[in-house]
Amino acid sequence: MSEHGNTALTIKEAYEQDNDKGLKFLRPHFAEEKFPAVQIAGYIGSLVLTFAAYFLVMNHVLPPAALLAIILALAVFQAGLQLGVFMHLKESRGLAWQLIPLYLVFLIALGMVGMSIWIMLFKSGVS
Amino acid sequence: MSMPLAEEHEVQHLPVEFADEKESIKITGFWMFLVTDVLIFGSLFSTYAVYRGAVAQGPSANQLFQMGPVMLETLLLLTSSFTIGLGIYAMRKGNVKALMGWMLVTILLGAGFVGTEIHDFVSFAAIGATWHTSAFLSAFDILVGTHGAHVTFGIFWAVTLLFQLKKRGITAQTARKVFTYSLYWHFLDIVWIFIYTFVYLNGKIV
Repeated sequence: MSEHGNTALTIKEAYEQDNDKGLKFLRPHFAEEKFPAVQIAGYIGSLVLTFAAYFLVMNHVLPPAALLAIILALAVFQAGLQLGVFMHLKESRGLAWQLIPLYLVFLIALGMVGMSIWIMLFKSGVS
Repeated sequence: MSMPLAEEHEVQHLPVEFADEKESIKITGFWMFLVTDVLIFGSLFSTYAVYRGAVAQGPSANQLFQMGPVMLETLLLLTSSFTIGLGIYAMRKGNVKALMGWMLVTILLGAGFVGTEIHDFVSFAAIGATWHTSAFLSAFDILVGTHGAHVTFGIFWAVTLLFQLKKRGITAQTARKVFTYSLYWHFLDIVWIFIYTFVYLNGKIV
């Protein structure tokens, strides 16, 4: 990053220029990247979560409903890993405004899919 | 060298893709696009959740899905998400050669993913499991197909970026374009995690 140091603002300067309202929760966060250890950890973590879900399902270790709940939880955790490690979701020049619509749309999507699953549970006695 | 971390953070400069104000605002704009794409996939997942049991005369999810190709697709896409992550790391170090190399690996892995998926769809069609067959297969094909179409578009996008990088190197503009492409690619990996879990693995549970 220091190669561009002569032309670019520092992260702190950009934040202070942008933040006239004192919005602390939108404060950007940049990872210190000396060696891509974070990326490697994120990759290994994703692989572990993927195969954990696979073996749980293929060996039928739990009743169906519990199994589905657990693998969905693993998926949400892995999605968070991708967002945090690879998508740098809190990085921004100044305030990280993308966080507000992002959290909102997660809520909407969760409601949409979750309520669709929920309403289908009532359709018949067998589900 | 022995400065505390907080001190170092204060003198940390903005990465090249955020260095220019006009380019940097486009990254925020791209996040807004991704937000709308979450809604598209959210409604397709909802549709699948509603119709997954409606198999009519066709095969059920458990009878149809082969986990071998699915695991291969998952590994290819996960690895490609990792390689483009390394590409962005190289970009911030100012290493254009490494960036282009990692992007090329990403493109090849993405092409392998799309190839496997097409092979899968063709083998489904061969046993008469097309989107005409049942509501389940309509919902399945439109959800997985929309994701596959996104990946295919991403491959062509990456190719155009390679030409731009070759010609102009890493500038505030090309860096922003590569960064938004990487956001898009990681996003598709996240969508795939849910397809893998909610469509394929879930199909094997019951």
